Amino acid sequence: MTTIAKAVTLGVAGNPNCGKTTIFNALTGARQHVGNWPGVTVERKEGRFKTDGLEFLAIDLPGTYSLAAYSVEEKIARNYLIEDEPGIVINVIDASNLERNLFLTTQLIELGQPMVIALNMMDMADEKGMEIDTETLGTLLGAPVVPLVGRTGEGIDLLKQKIARVIQDESEKARRIQIQYPRDIEAEIITLSQLINRDLDDAGRARWFAIKLLEQDADAEGFINDLQGSAPILEQAEDSIQRIERLFSDTSKAVIAHARYGFIQGAFRECVNTGDRVDTDYSRNIDKIVTNRWLGIPIFAAMMWLMFKLTYDLGSFPMDWIDSGVAGLMNLLSGIMPESMFASLVVDGAIGGVGAIAVFLPNIFILFFVIAFLEDSGYMARVAFIMDRVMHNIGLHGKAFIPMVMGFGCNVPAIMGTRILESRRDRLVTVLLNPFMSCSARLPVYVLVAGAFFPQNAPTVIFSMYVLGVLTAIASGKLFSKTILSGLSKPFVLELPPYQRPTIRSLLIHTWERGSLFIRKMGTVILVGSIIVWALGYFPRQVELDHDYDSERSKLADESRMAITTIQDRFEESVDLARAAYVSTMLPFEESKAYTSLVQQRDSLQWGIEQSIVKEIGLLDHQQAAETSSKKLIGQVGRVFEPLVAPLGFSWRESVALITGFVAKEIVVSTYGVLFGVGNEADESNQGLISSLRSSGMTPLVALGFLVFTLLYTPCLATVAAIRRETGGWGYTLFSIAYSFSLAWLLAFGIYRVGGWLNWLS
Amino acid sequence: MNMFNRPRRRPRHRISDENLEGLRLSDLGPGERGRVLEIGGSESFRVRLMEMGLTLEEIVEVDKYAPLQDPMELIVRRYHLSLRRKDAQKIVVERA
Repeated sequence: MTTIAKAVTLGVAGNPNCGKTTIFNALTGARQHVGNWPGVTVERKEGRFKTDGLEFLAIDLPGTYSLAAYSVEEKIARNYLIEDEPGIVINVIDASNLERNLFLTTQLIELGQPMVIALNMMDMADEKGMEIDTETLGTLLGAPVVPLVGRTGEGIDLLKQKIARVIQDESEKARRIQIQYPRDIEAEIITLSQLINRDLDDAGRARWFAIKLLEQDADAEGFINDLQGSAPILEQAEDSIQRIERLFSDTSKAVIAHARYGFIQGAFRECVNTGDRVDTDYSRNIDKIVTNRWLGIPIFAAMMWLMFKLTYDLGSFPMDWIDSGVAGLMNLLSGIMPESMFASLVVDGAIGGVGAIAVFLPNIFILFFVIAFLEDSGYMARVAFIMDRVMHNIGLHGKAFIPMVMGFGCNVPAIMGTRILESRRDRLVTVLLNPFMSCSARLPVYVLVAGAFFPQNAPTVIFSMYVLGVLTAIASGKLFSKTILSGLSKPFVLELPPYQRPTIRSLLIHTWERGSLFIRKMGTVILVGSIIVWALGYFPRQVELDHDYDSERSKLADESRMAITTIQDRFEESVDLARAAYVSTMLPFEESKAYTSLVQQRDSLQWGIEQSIVKEIGLLDHQQAAETSSKKLIGQVGRVFEPLVAPLGFSWRESVALITGFVAKEIVVSTYGVLFGVGNEADESNQGLISSLRSSGMTPLVALGFLVFTLLYTPCLATVAAIRRETGGWGYTLFSIAYSFSLAWLLAFGIYRVGGWLNWLS
Repeated sequence: MNMFNRPRRRPRHRISDENLEGLRLSDLGPGERGRVLEIGGSESFRVRLMEMGLTLEEIVEVDKYAPLQDPMELIVRRYHLSLRRKDAQKIVVERA
């Protein structure tokens, strides 16, 4: 192997919706690594590629409109550019939206790093009738401009060549320019930068700091403050700012932003021949229907319905395959491995537990695919536009509607889907509210309990659970916005980008990036949780049972054997009698009608006995399983926590069911199956389970409280893991757990007490 | 830390929202155009709008209002931008 020089770092910067990620993907191919920026939950993507014998380490910076450092994303992009000093910056620009995109470019030019401009979406600019003189634009901006179409990969090779050239060819440096400001501002910049340069000895940097000081940038002020001669610099900055503000009757920040657009307008006029044919704005034509006053909401509702349908209906096929695959694997392994604790740990604990969650994989991948489609096509911005009025009421951004609706399916992908929100505060609120959206795993519990206690009104009861969940989310949203997460909301300034046909490739990449996070979690948190629950059900190994089930079983078997023999004896006696009475015809007795009816009689009697014995032994098995589980650790834990839920009218069984429901809420049903000894294969329509529940001493009132509790209490393990991941720490995670648990407890308590007092549903 | 080195925050030359006079962007109907005269609101809001190309003297067109009448869709510098009415109320315009 030849020695490889250190890779050149390359930062890909650009506005949101400029196709930055497409260019990044086209440059790096599949060689990507997704992680988070240190300390924040903003995705950080890295990839490598080689061109002209140079190796590059490309970093996809968050999409930003500016480097003013107002948002987390801007801070990340800016800190990276300033502190990590990439070898080269690729500025991706949407050619069809040139002016606004060039604003960031002016800031990048001022940073003074080597840069190549990737003028993306040239096809859309063409369609708009825009003609862009890229040569002149490159001269004006002081950096090579490469026209390309990221979607098709057109121009990517040229981009790579230019990148290599800028790195290798010293003469490229000479091209760099300065953004010229109006004379009065320029004068202040020069005075200030000369002052700074005495300390810094780097004219380019000094100019940058001068401009930043005039913009009253806090980070720049902090940096200058640490310099030796900071006092005169800051005094000068103060004077300059006052002069500018007096002169332009506006804040210096606004004046400078305005001046940047002045520069942009000049460049734009010189290089662009605008078509400005409004009728070619096809995106606007689509929006005439899609965000239409009357059609907008029905179309949106249809899209949401379709998303749900696709996610859950299409997902149910592979779901069944995974389900039977996991069952097959468990059977196979328990056949191969000798019975031991290890075998049980692997089969029942690890595979069973992770398998129970793995069945959601198809749903999650389909959902992420649909979300990627909505995002890449541009419809997501319209969702925010249409739903903002509603979501704003609970202090959220319009886009938050998507993760909230998706919560009805499964909170885990929904919470991971909050990444579509730009502000951390909005993400936090949406994450915290999401568990109140009743996920599909809670439905089996509703069906079972409502079916058992409210057979006449089950659909109404179930529906009201969903409504209660939504109301709780609304109330909590208002509460959070006024208390713990108040005042951090950003103004709603949303771009509605042109619609685009997404490429399958980028949809698959996005789906995989998010989906793989879920897979990684299954391998960690969910695995550990499943093993813990397994251990609770497995230990202690030997439990003292009140009944000797084995002897009862053999007693039953003996009785049945005796009964069957007796029937056979009686049959033979009857046959003898009948044969004696048989006055011959042509046929032998064995072929006569009388004989056949006797055989039928015997068979049906014996079959009846066999049936009842199977049933009784089954019942014994169930009783044994129920008693065993009540004496395992899990039952003991259930009894320990019984006092906590006793005020709600719950017994130790509910306590156990809810504890195991922490692993995954639908487990509540199978736990009841085990506890009532109906077998853990029980599902919500199992009649035995329904009748056992009814006869367990639970009243309809307690059942209602139990339903409410199941809806609201601590989200499942997988959701907790997702919350921890997305909020970036245990603080909000623990808050979420405590908040939902106390809310569930208080409401269930209220229902039980008030209902009991009113003598209602008893 | 030497406090004298810190730049003192002087009162900003800023228009408070109550003092804004005249027609607001939120008063314009679909298809109407306005030239931006003043932008009120917090400093970060003003700067954010300017970064997005909604600078003083710029002409904006109201494209439409959302189905629930809020937010509104604008065309600024040949692209589409959405603002809440409450925020658009901080922008003084004249018909253009």
